[in-house]
Amino acid sequence: MLWRSNFRRISVVNKYLFLAYSFVWLIFMLYIWNLSRRQTRLQNELDEVKSKVSESASTTTSGPSGS
Amino acid sequence: MNKKFPIWLHFVLTLAGLVITLYMIFLYAPEEMTMGEVQRIFYVHVPAAWVSLLGFIIIFIASIVYLMKRSQHADELAHATAEVGFIFCTCVLVTGPLWAKPAWGIWWTWSPRLTLTFLLWLLYVAYLMLRSYLVNPGRAANLCAVVGVIGFADVIIDYMAIRWWRTQHPQPVIMGGANSGLDPRMLATLLVGVGAFTILFFLLVRVRLSLAEMRRELSEIRHALAFKLSED
Repeated sequence: MLWRSNFRRISVVNKYLFLAYSFVWLIFMLYIWNLSRRQTRLQNELDEVKSKVSESASTTTSGPSGS
Repeated sequence: MNKKFPIWLHFVLTLAGLVITLYMIFLYAPEEMTMGEVQRIFYVHVPAAWVSLLGFIIIFIASIVYLMKRSQHADELAHATAEVGFIFCTCVLVTGPLWAKPAWGIWWTWSPRLTLTFLLWLLYVAYLMLRSYLVNPGRAANLCAVVGVIGFADVIIDYMAIRWWRTQHPQPVIMGGANSGLDPRMLATLLVGVGAFTILFFLLVRVRLSLAEMRRELSEIRHALAFKLSED
């Protein structure tokens, strides 16, 4: 019976160890995923604004000569 | 900084540090006699706690620099550090009770160290909430800098709590006096863990700072574009 109670104790203890390490890895993975999502969104916005700037610059330079 | 220490190298170092730490935690460090396997939570709990305190020390310094010089870089550093520090502090508050339950028989107790760590987490939350809810960025930066300076008191008291008072939380195992100490293999594992978590912390702050830089660039271009359009 002793081995059974010991086994039970070990599996309970390991459950806490497993949960602690799983949580730590999960939270870091989620945060890194969140950072990369934000970075992609910002990069897209930046590219869009930059293309608008170059577009407006080209219309300004071609504007007076065209008229 | 970026050229001297490229981010890919930082990433490789972090990954190597974490792999070595995991190896040491599960295969090198001996099993603790009274608590058994669950004591291995210690090797993530303590490094995460150290980094949470380090994060607020950086916020404190950056906030003072911001208040004195109005440096936008200092403000961005404080903001990035608060976000990453919050993640580590959350790890402390989750791994702590998961260790406390099998070790003490309770999930939580309002002893000074635990309460002050919870307060530190609330300070991180307050800092990030101020950033999100205040519309005026200048006002948010000022208020957050004040929170960063005042909140630093909690870091000092939190660090000293287990030295000043007898609490449920264990006494310090490093620099804790004559009766403290660790098995050399446990100490080595802890120190490698602290190193790996510190490198990871700086990597995340660095990535978060690059986002702030992109946001600043975006807002500058938008302002320039709006100004140009209004002129036309």
